[in-house]
Amino acid sequence: MTQRILSLVALTLTVVLLAAGSSVVVSGQLLAYQDGFVFFTTGDGFHVAPNVAIRDAKTGGATTVKPAPRIWARATFDSSGTVTELDLSRSPLPPQGSFADVAHFAVALSSPVPNPDLLKNIETPTPGESSEPSQHFSGRPVLVTFIVQVPPYTPFTSSIYITTDQSGWNAQAIPMDRIDALHYQITRRFNSGTIFRYLYDRGSLQSQEVAQNGLSRPPRSFVVADADVLTRRDIVYAWQDSGPGSVNQQQPQIMPTPYNPAPFPNLPGSVPPPQPQPGKPPAW
Amino acid sequence: MALSSTLAALMLILACASTRAATPGPSPAPTSVAPQASATPTPQSTAPPPRTLLYLSASNVNFYYDRFLIEADGNVRVQTSDGFTVTGDAFSMDLKLNRFLVAGHVTLHDSTGTVSGAAISDFLDFQRIYFVPVTTAPDRWTFLNGDLAHPAKGRVMPDDAFYFPLISQHPSITASGAVIGTKTYARFVNAHTYFLNAGVPLGSYVVNFSPNQYFAQNTLSGASVDLTWNVAGNTNALTAVHLRYDPTYKTYLSVEQHLVGDHEYAIFSVNPATRAEKWWNLALYEKLGSRFQISSFTQYYTQQVWLGEPSAAQQTTFLNATYAFPHSYVTATSQLTNYNTLGPGSLEVPQAIGGNLSHPSQAQITATSFANKIPGLPIFEQIYEGYGFNHDSVGPLQYLQGSNGIPPIPIPGLQAYGSPCADQHGVVGKNGPVYYCPVYTTIWNTVFGFNLYTQSLKLNNPENPYETYYFNASFNRQWQWNSLPHWISSENVNFSINRAFSRSLNTYLAYQVLNVGDHYLQGGYLPCPDVGTPLCPLSFTSFRGVSTERTTSLGINFAPHPEFNFSLLVRHHEDFPIPVPGLFGLPPNNIIGQPLYTSYLGQAPYDATGEVRIKILSHALLDVSRTFYWYGNPYRTTFWQPSFVVQVLPI
Repeated sequence: MTQRILSLVALTLTVVLLAAGSSVVVSGQLLAYQDGFVFFTTGDGFHVAPNVAIRDAKTGGATTVKPAPRIWARATFDSSGTVTELDLSRSPLPPQGSFADVAHFAVALSSPVPNPDLLKNIETPTPGESSEPSQHFSGRPVLVTFIVQVPPYTPFTSSIYITTDQSGWNAQAIPMDRIDALHYQITRRFNSGTIFRYLYDRGSLQSQEVAQNGLSRPPRSFVVADADVLTRRDIVYAWQDSGPGSVNQQQPQIMPTPYNPAPFPNLPGSVPPPQPQPGKPPAW
Repeated sequence: MALSSTLAALMLILACASTRAATPGPSPAPTSVAPQASATPTPQSTAPPPRTLLYLSASNVNFYYDRFLIEADGNVRVQTSDGFTVTGDAFSMDLKLNRFLVAGHVTLHDSTGTVSGAAISDFLDFQRIYFVPVTTAPDRWTFLNGDLAHPAKGRVMPDDAFYFPLISQHPSITASGAVIGTKTYARFVNAHTYFLNAGVPLGSYVVNFSPNQYFAQNTLSGASVDLTWNVAGNTNALTAVHLRYDPTYKTYLSVEQHLVGDHEYAIFSVNPATRAEKWWNLALYEKLGSRFQISSFTQYYTQQVWLGEPSAAQQTTFLNATYAFPHSYVTATSQLTNYNTLGPGSLEVPQAIGGNLSHPSQAQITATSFANKIPGLPIFEQIYEGYGFNHDSVGPLQYLQGSNGIPPIPIPGLQAYGSPCADQHGVVGKNGPVYYCPVYTTIWNTVFGFNLYTQSLKLNNPENPYETYYFNASFNRQWQWNSLPHWISSENVNFSINRAFSRSLNTYLAYQVLNVGDHYLQGGYLPCPDVGTPLCPLSFTSFRGVSTERTTSLGINFAPHPEFNFSLLVRHHEDFPIPVPGLFGLPPNNIIGQPLYTSYLGQAPYDATGEVRIKILSHALLDVSRTFYWYGNPYRTTFWQPSFVVQVLPI
């Protein structure tokens, strides 16, 4: 009797295990739910059972969430590859299963054809060369330190900024700090994989850096690679508004003074301006 | 004036013509890379894809500024300039990756018909469209190079072709539609932004993310706060309204228009637009070939109520042209100014005064070498030489146009080296004549100078890099000879030693000596009378136009976090002539309270400047600084910079 009971229990367990083994569960984000199919963001479409059970992924109970793009779902497949249950959530679900395991259930009229676009990037490595991609971007935050050498005639108390396409080319987007007679520095955080273009300036676009040949220069380009910290060193050869020997500096909203080569604009009023030699007034 | 107007008009015509003729420039690489490992398709053609316009409408359109993502849901409709229309339930576009996705009950419609599907993804840079059609069953089609009539069926697609980005933050902008110019701009329709979770209606708002740096050019002065509303724009234009605040003009509106091409730009602005004091600005730039560029900047100042008849008007134009040689360049600069474009006696009607009728013009051509390393030495050298012409035909006495009891305006003229004016207007100065008339209407000048400098030189080689000391030095010497018996020399020497104690803490100690000589071959500076009085301190008895400023600086920068920064700069000046509190004039400030020049005679022997920057919003930094001055013995006078310099910097 005991043996019979044990056999029955074993049989029941076997049936349960077999039944459990025939269903596969994967979780992912929905791309679409239409025409009797559910599509995940892998692009794969799967048959949906007419009586598919739609539940809340957290409670297992009824849900008001409807299958739609962006919704996260845990799909249960039966042995024929039909989705019999969808547990939905508006927030990401823990990874479960693998879409590689259900790829053979995906419905597609055409047979897979290799994509030459993708194959071009998978060239056979030469001996000793790693087949891993040379650059990988995880998207994690990276501390990037910019150090720039400025022209020696840059006024000592000048403010130096970085202007980037990330900030709509705002001239004062990233203020820097002087670290010695010729260098300024700033550290900022960027996500790895970010590519941005930038230039240095002295607070306005009239005082933007120019190339070594005096012409306006194209922006620098920088790719933030995966690292704990990165350092970027640059050289500014000249400023647009104050090249060597220049005597006129345009400044918005300030009328220039008449050309006056007297270099001491703030002498006390008690000091008379330079005078001709007494008795020898210069001719007009 | 006529010359500047003609040149400005010519530049504008050139800029407009070039803008019209501009063809799409080389398309730069995507400015962001998806964090997911994915096989990126390689375009078959090396030619850059054309720019595409997308017209998007949906029930909800959200834009996330920090990630340059547009996400839309409900009744999505996308019409493209490539000739097809897509409808669906959800839309996602990464503006930097330059690709978009439409998912859920998708229809793809073009001139050949309509196909239904589950999702479509367009990789615009690579001219590949990945489509999941649903006919009798799902399938996978790839459209190559814009050919929607002949899909490549069954092609394996990139793993992330239909990826939705994970988003947890609040959108920066919400809207009901958008026009997206790929890689350059997105213009949102019925847009709202959010401040402290409260919606702020914007109507139309443009986000410009063009790699073209000419969009950066602006003609506005600095401001403490600048809130920019980009009202309209496209690939080559941007119209912005600025709500600004500065200590001078307080709160006001400004308008700026950008017109940008691949090699040229034209920027126009009026600032402040809602104040009687208006500055009308026009900046023009054109690059012709790879070696030559020309630019101009014109300011027109008017004092007028709205657009009424101005009571004052001034104009100045800067012209710059640069030609690059292989190891040097030549720059021609010109400055044309008219201090009263309304004419004599036109100011302050009905009690008209003449005002300053001067209209000096100036031109200079300068040749500058590249910085070259001196063989065998860790020193770089650079030399330059220029020739200049300065002219003001109005001549002397034009400053003495006061009338109706209004005193004349004692503005130094083209050359203040002159004799006392014949007519002193009845003003008798305690120390002699008050008004000195300019003498020369034309001055030619020659400038020659050179720079020597070192890059950072290591002073020691410890194992710990944070124990390394670096040395920097620079030296500038310049002479300027004028066509009158007058020449100016300057010599500027800088030394500094710096050390980083950690990644977040930097210090430097610098020493600067600036000598300026204002030499006259005949006459020149005279000692002030009443030597030893407060108005004529002892050091002026030996002052003959040569000054020396010695500055020792200690700078500390502490940046423990990228969003927080504190810096302190303490300086000691040992100058000749010796500064006396209240005797010397202070430099004028710009409109946000910063001095226009930072090295001047009479500066307090000690000063300390503290500056704090802290991130206050996701896209804004607050920058506050102030300087404290003190004189030490025997004066012991102390004073603060008149006000804090406060700026809100968008990041």
